[in-house]
Formats: sequence, structure tokens, C-alpha cells
Amino acid sequence: MKQSKTTAVPRLVAIAIFSVVVCQAQTYRAPRTADGKPNLNGIWQAMNTANWDLQPHAAEAGPIAALGAIGSVPAGLGVVEGGTIPYLPAALAKKKENYAKRLTLDPEVKCYMPGVPRATYMPFPFQIIQSQNKILIAYEYASTERLINMGKPIVPPDSSWMGMSNGRWEGETLVVDVTGFNEDTWFDRAGDFHSESLHVVERYTPVSAEVLNYEATIEDPKVFSRPWKISMPLYRRAEKNMQLSEFKCVEFVEELMYGHLRKQSSK
Amino acid sequence: MNHKLCTLITVTASLFLGSVAVSAQALKPAPAAKTSTWTVGHTPDGQPDLQGTWTNATLIPLERNKTLGAKEFYTEQEKAEMDAKPRKPVGSALVQHYDLAQFGLDRTQGKFAQNLRTSLIMGPEGRMPPFTAAGQKRIADERARVKGHEFDGPEYRNLGERCIVNNAAGPPMMPSGYNNDLEIVQGPGYVAITQEMIHDTRIIRLDGSPHISPEIRTWRGDSRGHWEGNTLVVDTTNFNDKVSFNRIPVSRDMHVVERFTRTGPDTISYQFTMDDPQTWEKPWAAEIVMGTAPGQIYEYACHEANHSMENLLSSARNLEKEAAAKK
Repeated sequence: MKQSKTTAVPRLVAIAIFSVVVCQAQTYRAPRTADGKPNLNGIWQAMNTANWDLQPHAAEAGPIAALGAIGSVPAGLGVVEGGTIPYLPAALAKKKENYAKRLTLDPEVKCYMPGVPRATYMPFPFQIIQSQNKILIAYEYASTERLINMGKPIVPPDSSWMGMSNGRWEGETLVVDVTGFNEDTWFDRAGDFHSESLHVVERYTPVSAEVLNYEATIEDPKVFSRPWKISMPLYRRAEKNMQLSEFKCVEFVEELMYGHLRKQSSK
Repeated sequence: MNHKLCTLITVTASLFLGSVAVSAQALKPAPAAKTSTWTVGHTPDGQPDLQGTWTNATLIPLERNKTLGAKEFYTEQEKAEMDAKPRKPVGSALVQHYDLAQFGLDRTQGKFAQNLRTSLIMGPEGRMPPFTAAGQKRIADERARVKGHEFDGPEYRNLGERCIVNNAAGPPMMPSGYNNDLEIVQGPGYVAITQEMIHDTRIIRLDGSPHISPEIRTWRGDSRGHWEGNTLVVDTTNFNDKVSFNRIPVSRDMHVVERFTRTGPDTISYQFTMDDPQTWEKPWAAEIVMGTAPGQIYEYACHEANHSMENLLSSARNLEKEAAAKK
């Protein structure tokens, strides 16, 4: 008796909060572009620690002692629906190995394009520029970009880092179907990964003038036992002079990648 | 304090822009396409429409052949006679490494927006003005730095090979050996230019705001644009001191003004004025006619697949080891 009471209370609270959020999402109607589409133009940024680890995690020391607190990992409540990524057993073992070797294996270390959805929650802003037939998303990190095709869907001719993006409008929501990935990107610095069978469906829904709700459904039968979903708010960068800066990190990783191949001065 | 500084920067920038624009306007543009009934369309928010996939590939040299003197344009007949001759593919050294047809390097197959210019550089001179003493010194110093060290490390290779920036991205956007495809996307208050090579998007603000702090120096500069009738005028400053133009190391004072005018359904007149008093004795201007490129922009993962850099450096180290062993 006592037990059922204690579990019932939080459930009620959860339902109440959920319905409020749903009401807000349904009532907000975004301003329109000149051609009548929800206006997502702007510079946006996630404000969370998903890039460190999508799943709930405590703070911990980073892999390089010399960086001290600067290089340590901030905690995060997690952005995965249900809390856990549904790995197949062999894939879970690989994720753990990735984590152990993250300093050498994480593609972010080498300034490689981050893939989707990781590009969205890197700790850098990105800009949406909306035209009629294409929606451009330019990311500050590594001068990466995606041109989302809003016309007849295009089949990816080959695999790529950022995949092929085909978009459509569902009411207030921009839905982007992304396929044609290579297997070289990760989802975060914790070693969460995928295969070339990755299929991502993103949903960008304005919930106020300053916030987009971002959801990504991730499907990859070679790595996960079922599709799973992440969600997070994306915040408008409100600084009056806000613009994307240049972050061309290739130059910053040349020593790391090619330093051992430099000519050593003869002694 | 801050407010005063901002105002000062705005005024200086717009005055400068005005003077350069006048000198560019005084130059003759390439004769427009013959579709006289054509008028430029507009985006839903009212900007003249430059959107689409374009190429700035050209067969016209940057500098005019000296034998042509002040002749800025060929006649239609001269052009027809030249076009009738077989075109040579690009440099024979490339033939050893690439399937020219596959990579679009075979200029006998290429599609180019046609115009009658004898050189990209406009005006009677048709050539870059002389280098200043500071410019000559910088060029000589850079050559001396690299000479004999070409394979010592990545910083001795050119920026394109390092996958940092491509010539085609600019600004100014100069065609390179192959793949000069770019896409222009316009949204309210912005024009964006996405370059396929090395992958790079330049976002041009149209809101009349001043350039970013002169303390911030970048590979691609800071671009601000505005419309003058149907012409998009883009002013770019804030370059770093490592930028080069066509392998010429320019200074951080380089100031580029570009003018994009859609001249037909399949052409954009792209003019740019180069002003770098630390490099050239006076500003100079050039025009490239961009044509539509069929298809779309794909991902070009340059750095991610830069095996050449690793192979080149490791080969050089191996050769040194072999040479040392023979001694």
C-alpha cells in the first residue's frame, strides 16, 4: 500500500508537467517567412553536455592530466529518451573500447566533420539560412555545412561525413531525413558510434521566438536493437552583433597529426 | 566610448567602399548576354535572386598576354576563331596522376560561361600593378622560407594542400585547377556562398553593421554586403597575415570589394577590386563571368581524407633515411 502511494505521486506530477509542455508546443505558431513557412532563420546553439556524453553522466577528470579542470568533463542529465542507448551486445563492447581510446579515436580530436546529429550539439553555434528550395545549416565548427534539399528527395550517391539531407515541413516542424553516412563519425566524446547503415530523422520545432525543440531519431540495425531518440532545446544566440566566427581547426591539429613526420633538425 | 568607436568604423568603412566602387564602375563590364527581354527575379523577401549552383571556371588568364597591349576584348570573330582551335588540357604533369576526364580537368570537355575578355583583370593595363617594396620583400621572404624545405612539414605546403582554405573560396573567389562549383543561398538579411572544394560557407551580412573588431583576423575575412540596384556589393576586411592570393602572400591590410550582378538566367558577372597597399602600388579590378553548373554541391571531405600530406611527408623522411644509410 505504502509503496504504491509513493510511486503514484511522482507519476501524477510527471503527467501534469508533460501536458503543459505539449500545450505550449501546440499553441505556439512561429512567425512566417515571406513565402509562408515557419521562420527558423537565426543563429542557434545547444546548451548542454551532450557532446561529452549523450547518456546521463557524472562529472569526471578528462583524459589529459595537464589540462586540469579545463579538460575535465562536465556532468549531464542526459538527452536520450529513456536514458540508455539500446546497443546490441557486441556494439556495447565496442563503445566501451572507443571510450577507453577516445583520445586517439574520437574524430573530433582530428577536426573531422562531426556528422549528424553531433554537429547540432557541439559547443559551437550554427546558423540556419532558409530559402525556398534549400535550407542551409552552416556550423561554426570546422566550417561544416549542410544544404538541406526541400525538393524531390535526392538519393545519396555515396557515403559522406554529414550525409544527404532531404527536408520537408510538417506543420510547424522542419523534418529532415538524413541517410548516406560513412561509419567514421561518433555521437559524442564518450565513444557512442554507429555504422554506415545509420538513418537519422531530425525534427526542428519552434516553441517560442527564442527556442527550437530539436529531436533526432536514430536508427541503425547493425548497432542498436531498436530506434532511439534524443531531444534538447536549441537557443537563439541573442547578442546584437552575433555572427558565426571562423573555427578552421585543421591548422590546429597539424602538429598532432603530422608532427611525427616533420623533418628533425640534424644534430 | 564603445559607441563612438563603432560609429567611426562605420563611417570609415563606407567612405572607403564608396571610393573603390566608383573606380570599379568606371571599368567596362563584359558585354551582357543577348537575352534582352530577361529581367532578374527576386527572392520572397525582395532580394535580386542570385541563387543556384554556379561555376567560375574560366579559360581566360588572370593577366593579359603582353602582345595584346591595351586590347581588353576580343571581337566575336576573333573569339570564334580561337574556339575553333583544339583546347589543350591542363598541365601535362597532372596527366600522370589524374584521369583528367573523371576529375573535370580536361578543358577540351569543360563547359564555361563565355565572354570576350582577353584577361580577367579589367582596364587597359590588363595586368596586376607593380608590387610595392614591402610586397616584393614579403614574396621574396616567403620563397626563401620554403626553398629547400618543401617537404619538411605541413607549413611548407600550400593552403589548399593543407585543406585549410581553397583559392576558389577567397575572397576574391579565383578559379582553381578543377571543381569551381559553388552554391548561393539567400535568406532574409543574408547571402551565403557555399564552396564545394574543401567545404566552406561564407555568410555575408546585409544589415549594415560594421566589420568585427580589427583584433580578429581570419583566413576568409569578414564580409558585409549591401544591394546597389541589382548588384550585391560585398566588402571584406579582417584577413590574417597568412592568406595568399594565387600563391602571392598578401598582407593583413587586404581589402576586397566584390560585385555580383546577375546578367542572365545562366550568368553572373562577378567583379572584384583588390586593394592592398602593402602589396600592390595601386588597387586593381578583375571580372569573371560565372555560369550555371548542372547538378548540386556534394560534400568534399578534404582534410578527412588528406592521405597525400601523410604520404608526402613520410616519403620524404624515408628518402632521407635511405640517403643517410648510403653515406
